[in-house]
Amino acid sequence: MDFRPSEAQQLLVAAARDFLARHCPIDAPPGGPAAPKDLWTEMALLGWPGLLVPGDLGGSDGTLLDVMLLVEEMGRFDLESPYIASAVAATSMLLASAVPARRRAVVPEMALGRRTAALALLEESGELTPQAISTRGEPGGRLQGRKLCVRDADIAHDLIVTARGESGVSVFHVQRARAGITCEAMPSIDGNRLFAVTFDGVDVAPADMLGDAGAGWDVLRPALALGALARCAEMIGAAARILDLAVEHAKTRVQSGRPIGSFQAIQHACADLLRGVESARPLALSAAWRVERGQPSDAEVAMAKSYTGDACLSVARKAHQIFGAIGYCEEHPLHRFHKRILAARLEYGDAVHHAETIARAIGLV
Amino acid sequence: MDFGFSVAEEAFAEKVRAFLRRHPPASFPRDGMDAGYGSGAASRAFMRALGAEGWLSMTWPRRFGGEERPMMEKLVLLEELALAGAPFGPLSGADQTAEAIIRVGTPYLQSELLPRIARGDATFWQGFSEPGAGSDLLSLTTEARRDGDYYVINGHKIWSSHAGIADFGLVLARTSREARRSHGLTMFVVANQTSGMEIRPIRSLTGEVYHYEVFLDDVRVPRDVLLGPEGEGFAALLGGLDTDRFWGRFYKAPALKRLLLRLVQHANTVTRDGQPLARDAAVRRGLAGLAAEIEALRAMFYRVGWLIQNGERAGHESALAKVMADELGQKLTAFAMDALGAFGPLAEASQWAPLGGEMAHAYLTSLGHTIAGGTSEILRTTVATRGLGLPTQR
Repeated sequence: MDFRPSEAQQLLVAAARDFLARHCPIDAPPGGPAAPKDLWTEMALLGWPGLLVPGDLGGSDGTLLDVMLLVEEMGRFDLESPYIASAVAATSMLLASAVPARRRAVVPEMALGRRTAALALLEESGELTPQAISTRGEPGGRLQGRKLCVRDADIAHDLIVTARGESGVSVFHVQRARAGITCEAMPSIDGNRLFAVTFDGVDVAPADMLGDAGAGWDVLRPALALGALARCAEMIGAAARILDLAVEHAKTRVQSGRPIGSFQAIQHACADLLRGVESARPLALSAAWRVERGQPSDAEVAMAKSYTGDACLSVARKAHQIFGAIGYCEEHPLHRFHKRILAARLEYGDAVHHAETIARAIGLV
Repeated sequence: MDFGFSVAEEAFAEKVRAFLRRHPPASFPRDGMDAGYGSGAASRAFMRALGAEGWLSMTWPRRFGGEERPMMEKLVLLEELALAGAPFGPLSGADQTAEAIIRVGTPYLQSELLPRIARGDATFWQGFSEPGAGSDLLSLTTEARRDGDYYVINGHKIWSSHAGIADFGLVLARTSREARRSHGLTMFVVANQTSGMEIRPIRSLTGEVYHYEVFLDDVRVPRDVLLGPEGEGFAALLGGLDTDRFWGRFYKAPALKRLLLRLVQHANTVTRDGQPLARDAAVRRGLAGLAAEIEALRAMFYRVGWLIQNGERAGHESALAKVMADELGQKLTAFAMDALGAFGPLAEASQWAPLGGEMAHAYLTSLGHTIAGGTSEILRTTVATRGLGLPTQR
């Protein structure tokens, strides 16, 4: 075992921290200093969107563990971007399952940051299962239905859409500008990045399909695992930043003539924040390591996602108590990290979703 | 980064599993109860069986009879033993003591005790706490007075695990009064038969004996039994306590996993409301959540182990891992008592006890874990001050 990132990974982290510190200051106004689109171009210059893409398709041949380390830094700086959905989940699906012409046309564009994709998966039940899909769609036919909670749909060039046809659930890759697609904001407490996307007789060609007709869930499952792990890394980064801020506050905030960090009640709360971060990180990284090596990892990913979500959310919630009244203000950064964790926890499978995977893995009938 | 076992480590794990198949844990006599840390019951016979395999000394330097195997293999061994519920209770104490003897022991301790430890023939108790010195260990009053080539120890130790069935005590005593309370303390390795020692059992809330108190009345020991230099016992101990917290709880994750899997078996076989208990949403989700927490605990301990293997002290990391281990143990056993329902509190002696009464027993012993080896409160303070740099209270 070796918990130390390689030298190249350490460089990646250092460069990311440097870039993000300049572009995502902690005292930025709500919503961040730049719209996701603006910073995306800069991020593309660093090669981040192409991290999982092979060199012959314009990427940098990186690994999932590279992505985990990079995304942890993004979480640490509360970066608002379509990175996980587009550069991780969607890119991996296009690489694995798009027809060669589509792959060659789209993946290099995505690697260069000129094109992003959003995931249009959830419907009215909010469940991430094949049974929950009622949107209709056949290759060579039309998409008809509505997807909900599609993150960053407004800025995405393409949409990855699940739809049910004669042979079961298939996955389609369609341009958002295609006739019949409309987006409507779904206001949320975590930054208004969610949209309802309606597909009204949208033409889809066989070349739009990712994988075989009816095999949609096989196409989707590995990408959801990557997305879940990247969300873990993001939550860990956000929680780690909350920890840093809380400890700093505990050292400098003076009450009754002493830094509040000298009171045991605060000390013990800070210790619990550290526990959340330090226990989630090795679990998530080791799950990613298994995925990267192609080992069976459904249970490990489910455990990582469900544990990390709970641990990091409790870091955020406990931190509010350490910060006191100032943490309740919009101008204070705490709520942004908290909301990021809250959102990340629910995407790529919420706790209930992953609990069922774990339950089966430990042998419950 | 690499989060897997090497081929050699995998092969060793298989070797341990084969050993456990040849030596089923249940076939060994138990000399003392399980602390519930996951370290299994005390069994001298099982320790000797481990010794016969060479596993008690495998990481030692060759000049002390070891094989200089990497520390990771010790973790592999402990994990397999805990998963199997083997009675390896004295292992951690013996291992830690051997490590200290190799590092700072006298030639006498090295030549007399190391071979016995390697055979599984020497087990140890800790004589640290006193009636008036619990969390405030430095207020201990046991004294050792120099008398030529001997020391004469007087005092009263308490909460010493397995002291009555072990062979030697590690007794921390004051050898001089210094301005700093952490100075002037010395560690002695005292044989149980030494005259002047009285070892009395303390019956615990489980109804069984795990702890003892030890009265030392003019106990005379040669200077050969000093563990480390005179007056520097606390420095040696503190380094020891850091790793003691790691080694004392490393096997908790696999031990809890074993308990969890027993609960799964139970939930699959009993019915509630006409369906398997396993289908009850609260039980199902609860067990899944606990399984994830156990995996997180395991990953955290392996990381701390990796730090220690790389020469880091890992003091606050070990403390944090211990807090998590013991609180998770309490959470799991409390959940289990709920899940087991009306028969949950039945003990081993009852034919109706679910899971042979093991869960009820674990529920009770788990209460002591957040106290023993540093209370969770003391340890959180350690994490906050040593790990996060928060100001100390004074």
